Formats: sequence, C-alpha cells, structure tokens
Amino acid sequence: MTSRKVQKDLMTFIMYIFGFLLLWEWLRPLEQLTDTSNIWVFLSFIFISLLLSFIGTPVIIGGCIKWVFIIAALDFLYIDEAFFQFKWVSVFITDFIESFQFVMARDWANLSNLFRSFLFFVLLWLMTYLIQYWLINRKQIFIFFFMTLVYITVLDTFTPYNAGWAIVRTVISGFAVLGMLTFFRLLDKEGIKKETNLSRKWMIPLVAMIVVSIGFGLAAPKAEPIWPDPVPYLTSYGKESGDGTGVQKIGYGLDDSSLGGPFIGDNQVVFTVEAESRHYWKVETKDVYTGKGWITSGSREVRSPFGSADQVPITSFFNRPGVETVKESSTVYSLNNNSHIVYPLGIKKIDAASFFSFELEVATEKIHSLEGDSPSPIKQYTLDYVVPRYSVTALNEASSEKNIVENNELINRYTQLPKDLPQRIQELAKEITDGKDSWFEKARELESYFSRSGYSYDQKDVAVPGDDEDYVDQFLFDTKQGYCDNFSTSMVVMARSIGIPARWVKGYTEGEYKGISESGSRMFEITNNNAHSWVEVYFPGIGWVPFEPTQGFSNSVQFNFDTASQSHDQPSVMNPEELEKDKPELKENNERQAASSEGSFKKLFVPIKNFFEVYWKWIALVIIVLAVLALIIYKIRGRWLPYYLTLRFKWTKKDENFQKAYMLLLRELERYGLHRKDGQTLRDYADYVDRFFSSREMGRLTARYEQLIYRGNLQKGSWKETKELWENLIKKTIA
Amino acid sequence: MTHEHIHPMIDKILKNIEKVMIGKRSVAELSIIALLAEGHVLLEDVPGVGKTMMVRALAKSVGANFRRIQFTPDLLPSDVTGVSIYNPKEMEFQFRPGPIMGNIILADEINRTSPKTQSALLEGMEESSVTIDGVTHQLEKPFFVMATQNPIEYEGTYPLPEAQLDRFLLKMKMGYPDMADEIEVLNRAQKVKPIDELEPVIDLIELRGLQTQIKEVHVDDTIKRYIVELASRTRTHASVYLGVSPRGSIALMKAAQSYAFMYGRDYVLPDDIQYLAPAVFAHRIILKSEAKFEGIRAEEIVDRVVSRVPVPVRRLVK
Repeated sequence: MTSRKVQKDLMTFIMYIFGFLLLWEWLRPLEQLTDTSNIWVFLSFIFISLLLSFIGTPVIIGGCIKWVFIIAALDFLYIDEAFFQFKWVSVFITDFIESFQFVMARDWANLSNLFRSFLFFVLLWLMTYLIQYWLINRKQIFIFFFMTLVYITVLDTFTPYNAGWAIVRTVISGFAVLGMLTFFRLLDKEGIKKETNLSRKWMIPLVAMIVVSIGFGLAAPKAEPIWPDPVPYLTSYGKESGDGTGVQKIGYGLDDSSLGGPFIGDNQVVFTVEAESRHYWKVETKDVYTGKGWITSGSREVRSPFGSADQVPITSFFNRPGVETVKESSTVYSLNNNSHIVYPLGIKKIDAASFFSFELEVATEKIHSLEGDSPSPIKQYTLDYVVPRYSVTALNEASSEKNIVENNELINRYTQLPKDLPQRIQELAKEITDGKDSWFEKARELESYFSRSGYSYDQKDVAVPGDDEDYVDQFLFDTKQGYCDNFSTSMVVMARSIGIPARWVKGYTEGEYKGISESGSRMFEITNNNAHSWVEVYFPGIGWVPFEPTQGFSNSVQFNFDTASQSHDQPSVMNPEELEKDKPELKENNERQAASSEGSFKKLFVPIKNFFEVYWKWIALVIIVLAVLALIIYKIRGRWLPYYLTLRFKWTKKDENFQKAYMLLLRELERYGLHRKDGQTLRDYADYVDRFFSSREMGRLTARYEQLIYRGNLQKGSWKETKELWENLIKKTIA
Repeated sequence: MTHEHIHPMIDKILKNIEKVMIGKRSVAELSIIALLAEGHVLLEDVPGVGKTMMVRALAKSVGANFRRIQFTPDLLPSDVTGVSIYNPKEMEFQFRPGPIMGNIILADEINRTSPKTQSALLEGMEESSVTIDGVTHQLEKPFFVMATQNPIEYEGTYPLPEAQLDRFLLKMKMGYPDMADEIEVLNRAQKVKPIDELEPVIDLIELRGLQTQIKEVHVDDTIKRYIVELASRTRTHASVYLGVSPRGSIALMKAAQSYAFMYGRDYVLPDDIQYLAPAVFAHRIILKSEAKFEGIRAEEIVDRVVSRVPVPVRRLVK
C-alpha cells in the first residue's frame, strides 16, 4: 500500500476491539496450561500495538514505542532494576548472545526465559500486524477466526482447560468481525459511501443474529460427547484413577475415604473373562464407615501368602446345609497393570503360571499377585470357585439369638458406625424394616427400598457431602440421586444401624456379554464403566450374602425359596443391556410423578414422545427418502418443468398472464445457463438469447413484453399472438 | 438497435448531415436529441475535428439561423447579447441584437472568456431570454446552443463552474475519425466545400412540431423509478463528492424521450436510459480529489452504476 488510508471511524474501532478479543483468547489458556505468568504484560503489548495501528501512527514511531515497551517489560519482568539505570543493556546483550548460541546449537531447552519472552513479544508483534492486515487491507478474517476455534476446542479436549465460555466469546467476536468485514467489503465492491444510516441497517440485524444464535446455542441441549473424553482415556494407561476431587473418572479406585461427586464414563477394557455364569467380580471389602466414605480397620500390611493352586484363605460362606454349591471355573484375561486379582464370591483356587505367588490382605480380602517379592500383574489366570445357592429358610433362621451371641465379635466389627451418625438414618431403617423379624427379610426390605422410593441413578449430578454433612444422610434425605457407592453405602449403614452386620464390597459387575468362546464358555468384557460396589450381609452359620441395592443393577445371587415352593426362583436377573434401557424409563416415571400437576400436558406429550422414540428410525428414513426424492425431482427439473409450464399456460388467453409467463421464461433461461446480469436490459438479453439459439423469437417476444411494461398498455390479444413464440422458447430450455 | 426505424424526418436530417460529416453519426444523433429535447450541448474536444462543421450542418438542415460566437478573454457580455446604440438621426437608442439572437449558436471555446460573459450566454440558455438595459428580449425558438470547450489548454481559461455545467443537457466528445473516414474527409476537401451546397430538409415550424411531439412520449413509472435509482446511486458512490441533481434526472428523462422518438417509439426503454446516461450524467458528477488522483473518470462511475442497478423487468405494483 503506497498510501495507507487510515480509517478512524467507530466501526473500525469496534473491529479492532474484537480483533483484540480474538487474540486474547489465544493467551487466556497460557496462564493455566503453561508456566507463563504476567499475561497482562503481553496483553498490554497487544493492546498498544493495535491502538497504534488504529490511530495510524507512522511505522517508525510506532516501532520505537513498541521496542521501548518490550525492553521495559523485559526489564520489569526479569531484571527489576529501574529502567533508566540501563543495567538491562548488559544483561540483555549477554543473555541474547548466550541464547543465540543455544539456538545455533538447537538446544531449545536451555533458552533463557528472558529470551523466550522476547521471542514471544516478537510473535505477538507479528500477530498484531497480521490482524491489522486482515482487518483493514484484506477485510477477511475467517481463517484467524477458524484457527482460534480450532485452538480452543483442541485445548478443551486435550487439556484441563475448560473452554465453555471461551467458545461463546470467540463466536461472538468472530461473528461480529466477520459481519462487519462483509459489510465493508460490500461497500467497497459497490462503491457506496459509509453512512451511519446504512451502517445501522446492517448492524442491527447483525447484532440480532449474534444474540439469537448465541441464545440458541446456550439454551439448546448439549449432546453428550460421542466418544469418551480422550484425556482420561489417555492418562488412564498405567495408572489407577480416582483422585477424590472434582470430576472423577469411573473405574476402580483405591481411596474410598471421601465418596461423592460426579463421574465420567470410560470405556477402557479392564479385563475379559471366560465364565460359565454371570456373577460379580470382587476385589476388596471395607469395614469402617467414616461419615464421608470407607476405610479399613486393620492394617493393610497384614497379609497371608499362598501359592498358585493353593486353597485361597477366604471363607465367604460355609459349606453347610442351607448353602448349595456348584463348582465352576473362569479364566480372566487382564488388560491393565493392576496387580490385584478379581475373583467371585466363592473363590477356591487361583491357577496361574507357577512363578507367581499371592498374598491376601486379611483386612480387606484383597488378593495381590507377586512375582518373587514384588507386585506383578498377571495377564491370564484361571479361577476355581463355587457358586452358592442360599436356602431362604436357613437364612431366615440364621439370625436367631443363639447364633448372634456366638458370633458376637464379628457382628461387633461389622456393625460399627460413626458416633455422630444422624439419628434419622436409624429411624428410617427401622421404619423400612418394620414388621419384619429375620435379618434376611430386613435386608431384603432395605435392598428394595431405594427402587420403591424414587431414588434415581445418576453419575453426573452427584453431591459431595460438606464438612458437617454425612454422605449417607445427604443421599437418603436430600439428593436422592447417585451411583452405586451411594446406594451400597446407604444400605450398609442402614443395616448396621439396626444391628445387622454388613460390609461394603468393591469390584466389577459381570460386564458385557460378548458371545460364546471356542471352548464353549461365555465371554464377558469388563470395562472401567463396570466398576461397582455392593453390599454383603453376614448371616451367622451361613456366611456373607451379597445384596444389590443400586437402582438398575442386579446381582445374580441365587436363593432357594424352599419354604414357599421348590421352584428355583431367581430374583430378577437381568442383563446389563436391559438395565441400560430401563434407566431412562425409571427416570421418566419419576418425572411423571413429580409433574403430576401439569398432567394434562404431559398426557398429551408422553404418547407423542413415546411414538417418536419407538418409530424415530422410520420417521428419519421416510424424511430422508422424501428429501432425496425432492432433490432428484429438483435436479432433473429441466426435463419436466418446461412441459409443465407449457401445459399450464396452454389454455390461458388472458393478457394478464403475459408478465407471469415471461418471468417464468426468464427463470427457465437462467436455469438453462443463459445468465442475465442485473444491469442488462431485456432487449440486450433477448439479443444474446437469440444469438445463442440462432432464432429471432426472443427478440419478437421481448418487443411485445417491452410494450407491456414500459408503455403501460398492450394491444388486446397480444398474449394469444405471442404464445407460440413463448412455447417455442420454453421448449428450447428442455434439458 | 438497427432493426428499429428512425423517424423519417429525423432520418432526413441525419442523412443531410452525413453528406458533410463523415463517420460521426452518434454525435449527430446526440446533437439532434438535444435539439429536439430543447437542451444544449457541451462538446469537449481538440480543435479541428469538425465541431463547427457539425453545428453548421445541423443548422442548415433545419433551416435555422446559425450564429457563431468565438469566445476570447476580452469579449464583453454585450458582444454576446447585443447592445443599444444611440441613433442621432432618430434621437433614440436602438437595439442592435447580438449573436445570441439566433436559432442555433456555436459558442466556441466558451472557457476562454470571463465568467461575466459566460453567464450572459448561460442566462440565455436557461431562461430563453436576455435582459439588456432593463428590457427583456425573448429569444427565438428553437434556441439551441452548442458550446465547445478545449480540454488541452488550461492557461488563461475560466473553467465553467459546476452549477453551469448542469445547464447542458449533454456533454459529448467528437473524437478523431477512423482511418477510412479520415481519407474520405481528405477526398471531399479536394473539391468545393460541401457545406455550402447543403439544403434544408425541414423548416423551423416542422422542427417545433417535433419538439412538442417529444413531450408526448410515454415514460412509464418503472422507467422513472429506474432513472431516480441511477441518479441516487451516483450520490452515494464512494468516489463521488457531489452526485447527480434532480435536474440531471429530468435531463435524462427528456433526452430519453427524444431518443425514443428518434427511433420511432412512443415509449422509453431502459436501453435508451442506459445509452444516454453517460452523456447526461458524467458532467454533473464532481469526483472526490482522491478519486481524481486515482485516475477514475466520471464516465466510469456512471457505467459502473448502470451495470449495477437492476433493470426493471416487471410492472410496478401500486
């Protein structure tokens, strides 16, 4: 540009502001994600640069100001001596020489912070120049806007930076700048003066458009990510999750002393098994409830070693009348580096390569695998175990006075509760179990209480108890929504509050059924999403019996209802797949109950919703087919439209139709590819068309039409006379 | 537009002019348009391209009284309008009409005389009358001024003010003849001056008749709207300091009526407007100085506007 015209109007100023905001979005994440601090210094530099460019300072003066700013800023940041003592001169020179040598040696890591900041300033200088170039000279900024969006979204996806509002800000600034630049480009192209009136006409719709689209964007429901968040996926390799604060990743965690808070799903496969039947996979149990979570009473260091193929020193239930057992075995293929064993309730033996040995944490019943003396993950091991079937009669009889006294020590251990546990938990437990005598009946009542009383399953909107709140109390009485930890802990605490010994078990559900393996056993895939916790209740003389209070889950524990009938009744054993489907319905039921006051609307709405839920695939298919058909018909309109038009005007004799017919002809010719420019007169265009078709028809027709519109009157019967011309022309446009 | 028939009387005039003017049909057409629309023409061109010949041929063809005023720096207003001279014999002032008292007047090199003298002519052009010593003299009709301006000499000239340029219906350029035409010019110059042999083809009464008929040519509302849109687009153009005035819009309409009549039509087409717009509008536009430096000419702006404003292709719905 030889003569750079400086525009100093308000619109240009606003545009610079938005340019500044866009550039700012690039700097915002730096403070959070890198060790950059004092971002405001760089921001001020951008601001000053853009301001100088807006004012139109000559390059030399502006450059001097910027250099002074850079030096002063570097002096302030790194030397912190008064600027005019000029101590910085020597520091800068030595530092730059040193850094330059590092650069030549490609030793980037050793560059001093001073030099890096200096380079950053230079980069920002370039960027401000580019922004000014895009805004003023090119009047195009889409690339920069798009790059900003990409930058922010990538950061949002792969780093802890939360770009929710950054996106909104960027879209506002970006749309505003794009809109204004388009306006300026149009002004330039059409050679129109900038007038406030005209600007207002453009700006009001622009602002309205931005407000409406942002409003829609904010109000619209956000689709859940189709892929799991890649960050936890990437970081979960080789590392066990659960840092206890903020959003956790679902999966098997170590620390349960502080429960609560939302979870993010994670599809990473933990292990696969070949099993004969469905059952949960235990990892460990916890016995002490703190009011916030679970800890272990005994020392984790008390371990009892055993070898491969030895009897596992866990006795979950006794082999007595009242517990029938079936022998089964499974093979586990571990896909992560956990050195603990997953095992079913009735574990007997672990079969692995002979150089592995095992240790049982006595306090938690967690089994570690060792190679030599160090913990080592096993990739494949076979488990021998028995699957129990409990006799309900025996369970009902187990809680007799005699039995309780005999097992006093164990019962004491598993009925401990914090002293400050809110009284109303016990009251609720008593109320639920009112009228039931045996522990088993009481436990069954507690287990089913949650699904009866409108508690819902939720991984996202789950509270963390405050300092003076109890985890169970908060769930039972306030939030009433949560995931397995909430349900299982609540059941354990309620059972204990009425004297039933219970403990909290962690592990995995049976996972997803993947088909039959070559050896004929069933394959299951267990992912981090299958991490789970449930309840075991102790029945004297029988052992630990699992219970599943969590809404939407079911453990396939088998009970023998020998009292009522001899049939083998299994309490509602369902697949996880079925469970998944059930969840929304459960929720919906709750909603329906809650919104009974506006029932009439719901009554109408729910069937419609159901209809769409059931038939949406068909509806979508029909819409797509119709759309495709419409598109095809539109695309081949050249073949049928002219016939239709000739038919349509065939029988009209009225002259009023002349204009309509002529306009249709113009449109058809346009579609045919004979384009008429805005400033081209009909006569000129007719010449062009006639030359194209080597005819004179368009000229003759147009001469008549001219009389109609420019003379204001037309001889009677003109349309009748010219209809043939018109028909011939229309026919020429047939593709 | 060759397939349209030119009005027979005008055709005769054109043919007559063509006897002496070679290859300048469009200039002749535009001159006749201005004459019929009762407007005046500003011819801007170098000397020796046949400006005088053109006007004289036109004047002779319509049997009009031709006068020529050669403007010089020392020319006085009375040299244009005429002067009252005391006649001692009859003891009273007698009015001796100046050269403006003709039908067709060639005002040669109008920018070489003082503004005072220029305005004497321009008053006559605007009012069709001149006032001398308090007495208003009506000018004969038709009254048609063709002023020439020499674009290459700037020293010692008084360029016409913008407001006065507005009074010319059209501004046009003569341009050099092409090679074949110039050879033909040489051929004819060997013989006697053909201009002297030119005979009138119509008389002044017929001419005035044509002038009244032109007012009857229909200008549809769609066309009027088109004219106004063109004019207003010149006003909002970024390179324009001052756009076309409503007087310019009127001028375009009148010229278009005249042009349509010449081609035997009783209604105006957008084609007429497009053809005439540069000649009618260009000299009424004042460019910004930046635009002048960038070498943009007013004609280009008019062309641009014409190509951008959509031509009306359907009737206005009232």
